[in-house]
Amino acid sequence: MLTLQILIDGFAISSLYGLAAVGFTLIFGVSGVLNLSHGGIMVVAALVGWATAAEYGFGSYLGAAVGVLAGLGLALVTYFVVVRQIQNSRAIPKEETEIFVLTGTLLWGIMIQEGMAYLFSDNPITMRPLIAGVVNIFGVRTPANEILIAVLCWVVIGLLWLLVNRTGAGKALLAASMNPRGLSLLGFELSRIYLLVWVIYGVLAGVAGVLLATFLGVSSANAGQLTASAFSIVVLGGLGSVSGSLVAAYLVGYLETVTAYLIAPTLRPIPALVLLVLAVYVRPQGLLGRR
Amino acid sequence: MKFTPPAVALPFAAAFALAAYAPPAAAQEPIKIGVIGEQSAIAGASLTKAAEMAADDINAHGGVNGRKIQVITYDDHSSATDAVRAFQRAVNQDKVVAVIGSYISEVALAIEPWSARLHMPFITPGAASNDISKHVHDDYDHFKYTFHGWLNSAFIAQSICDYSKDILVGPFGMKTAVVMSEDAAWTTPLDARYLECLPTAGLKVLDHIRFNPDTTDFTPIYNQIEAKHPDVIITGISHVGVQPTVQWHDQQVPIPLAGQSSQATTSTFWKDTNGATEGVITATAASPGVALTDSTVPFTDAYTKRYGDSPAYCGYSSYDMVHIIAEAIQRAGGSTDPDKLVTALEQTDHVGTVGREQFYGRNDQFTHGLKYGPGLVTGVAIQWQNGKQMTVWPADKANGKVTFPSFVKLPKQASAQ
Amino acid sequence: MTFEDKSPRSARAMARLLHSRLLWICAVAVIAALTLPLWVSAYLLGVLTAAYYFGIFAMSWDLLFGFAGEVNFGPTFLIGIGAYAAAILNSRYGLSIPLCVLAGAATAIVGGVLLAVPALRLRGPYFGLVTLVAVLLLLNAVVIFAGVTGGEIGMTVPDVLSIDATTNYWIALAALIISAAILFGLSRSTLGLILQASGQDPVGTQALGFNITKHKVAAFCTSAAFSGTAGALLVFYMGTASVDTVVDIAIGVQVIIAAVLGGRRTILGAVLGAVFLILATELLRPLGQLNTFVVAAVALAVILFFPEGLLGYAMHAGERK
Repeated sequence: MLTLQILIDGFAISSLYGLAAVGFTLIFGVSGVLNLSHGGIMVVAALVGWATAAEYGFGSYLGAAVGVLAGLGLALVTYFVVVRQIQNSRAIPKEETEIFVLTGTLLWGIMIQEGMAYLFSDNPITMRPLIAGVVNIFGVRTPANEILIAVLCWVVIGLLWLLVNRTGAGKALLAASMNPRGLSLLGFELSRIYLLVWVIYGVLAGVAGVLLATFLGVSSANAGQLTASAFSIVVLGGLGSVSGSLVAAYLVGYLETVTAYLIAPTLRPIPALVLLVLAVYVRPQGLLGRR
Repeated sequence: MKFTPPAVALPFAAAFALAAYAPPAAAQEPIKIGVIGEQSAIAGASLTKAAEMAADDINAHGGVNGRKIQVITYDDHSSATDAVRAFQRAVNQDKVVAVIGSYISEVALAIEPWSARLHMPFITPGAASNDISKHVHDDYDHFKYTFHGWLNSAFIAQSICDYSKDILVGPFGMKTAVVMSEDAAWTTPLDARYLECLPTAGLKVLDHIRFNPDTTDFTPIYNQIEAKHPDVIITGISHVGVQPTVQWHDQQVPIPLAGQSSQATTSTFWKDTNGATEGVITATAASPGVALTDSTVPFTDAYTKRYGDSPAYCGYSSYDMVHIIAEAIQRAGGSTDPDKLVTALEQTDHVGTVGREQFYGRNDQFTHGLKYGPGLVTGVAIQWQNGKQMTVWPADKANGKVTFPSFVKLPKQASAQ
Repeated sequence: MTFEDKSPRSARAMARLLHSRLLWICAVAVIAALTLPLWVSAYLLGVLTAAYYFGIFAMSWDLLFGFAGEVNFGPTFLIGIGAYAAAILNSRYGLSIPLCVLAGAATAIVGGVLLAVPALRLRGPYFGLVTLVAVLLLLNAVVIFAGVTGGEIGMTVPDVLSIDATTNYWIALAALIISAAILFGLSRSTLGLILQASGQDPVGTQALGFNITKHKVAAFCTSAAFSGTAGALLVFYMGTASVDTVVDIAIGVQVIIAAVLGGRRTILGAVLGAVFLILATELLRPLGQLNTFVVAAVALAVILFFPEGLLGYAMHAGERK
């Protein structure tokens, strides 16, 4: 009984972690950018979605859609205003671009968080579950919404897989992550590929943010924590590896759930952190990362 | 070599000039009161807004001996250090005569030593930790400048035990409870008192859970509680509120939620939880439409008209504390000398918006704490029903009966009481 | 006939020094700083006190980054360890302030070594990652052991350096000047040259026989010592320790911004950047909630458009083509 409860609860939360992490690692794998305003984008998607649904009364479905669009929009703004500016800047030496991008996105993330706190206060909000009610799975009472979330996450991930492996644009993306120079030599416009990956990222982050709002609730104060959590999972899984992130997401999700159920709710984040420390000392490239 | 002063010096010079400039003292200078709140939190923002309203009300009636009250607000970003910096600025730069600050215990406890060091009267209108007044009792001469303008955790717990006995044990036959609180400074004495007074009220405590205030997923906690089969969950939550409530509703946990949920006391909570708070009971300072005193309803109405939402619990006390400070200054003959002000504050006997406010004395256990009891301040218990906060306790102020959502399992239905 | 400078080397060095623009800037700054308590309010002195400690944080970071080429994304790991160690020792065990500050510095050094050893085996973004992870760990540790550390909101310490704003100001200024002198001296010394070389051309430096790992660990320890000391002093100035001031990633970012704003690899520019940043945040306080937003926006604008930093531009202003 408890085992089933843990399995179900852990699955939902891991799926959400996974979705959020995949976007993060994709951006790094393809364009080499560690976007530290990641949590901020998720939070904006959630807050805008809530505002549309509840504040302005347009209902959950429209709210969710608008939220995802907001996430996408903000991701693009992040790319054009912050990341691309720094990458193309002539005043910054090549070898320092990375740290400037990191610092720039961190600052941008802070701006987003503070801006959201100003507009929405730091009170957590929740979006109405997309499906109400509970279902009984072999005696375990589970909100139907939780199951929907897990399903939706996997549908999105599945679509992503299709995109990368079956479409021309997707294959170009894959190639860009492996050998950008080679790709541009072949005549591909790298800037269009980067744009594509940021669009995909925006959608992923937006969906993750909106789903989180319906499941656990989100507040502007969560932005930092969400970035940190996606970051930890991605490091564990291996920077740039999508499958690595998924594996790590489930690892972390289940570790946390098991700890919360079997040990103590207070100690929930500890095992994942310990794992992260071990990974960093013993195998810093992560489970499936490339060196 | 030509030496050109770096252009960088100019903005600094301008900044210093701007900050160092002090306008000449006016003859009838306003009395400045500093108010430190957490602007991005609903309760914290309510604190400062209510104080500003109080100042306007006092000034409309002629001020204090002809002098106007000027409220200067500071945002402490829910951080102890920011609050201390704001406090220092209020004292050193803005020259306030008293500071009202924060509803977070850790923040109030960080300001308390500075109020002692800088000899600045400091009142917290919302923090709950017993330590705030305990420090004053243990070292009166040093800490006497601090006043605790709201009920402390021990009294909050007592009021919850009192209302549990009246509206839960009696009518519904509840016999067992699980205590669930966030791990924070204010809940340590709260829980301690719960464990003492709940059994006396008729509720045996089966388990005591303290969770990390950062928790976002409460499923394991509710599961753990459900396994014990208690009749009610008695809460002590303030930092969290929306998430445990929404998840309680979404998972249809069959046990009622009662106790203290600070966020549930705010009027936007229904919207924030999309109605999931239906049936949740919490202790609070005052509730809409219920006249604890003659000034409760007029204040609530005026605040709602001006700001759009009803005040949070610390809004009521913040409003009262500004009046109390003004009265104390009057009692001290117009003097704002800290020691005279402290003596005057100790003589407070003010009928505010939440009841009759007096402070405990030097020889009482909780020196400078707000006095608790019938005829003084007890707070009320409200339950969310159909989008409204219905007052369900004390009986003479109640305007609704306790009912629970259908997924909650009760030992017996309420008998006609 | 070609002109030959026949004056002794020391005189030439002295002349170079006196003509150095940097020296004049410093002299003016120090004199201004020393005279401030005479004509500035207690409140502003308080803000500057915090800014000076921040300046020490930023200089320590610059030593590591500018010279060792290591991007430390978690300077607050070292600062936080020093600050909390000192705070806990003072509030739990009642040790005296100087003892706590020393203990804080020592703990920070230990932390620095623990961080450096694995981190230095990594290249590129992984090093930065490890430093960031270290901060996350410290953050979680503080929150989880809230009973000891006061959790997210913070803890109070019974002792403070002084209540008098001017005394606090002198202490901070003294700490700043001493730290600046030592750190700047280090950066111009042999150690500094080796660090610079290992940052810019590790292979070549190693080929010349230098043990760069040993030197980088030394740089880490130095950075840790100063960060930890300043962190502890900051706690005893404020009377509180909270994650918001000594551990949060946002603080780490501000440290980096201060150093970058002031001018990377100049050590002293970091002080300029720190003072500017802290002053700006305080002066914008009347904006209430939005002051952090505005400061972050300004900092973002600076790194987008003026990556050389304030001191960088000041130093090279006359030299532009």
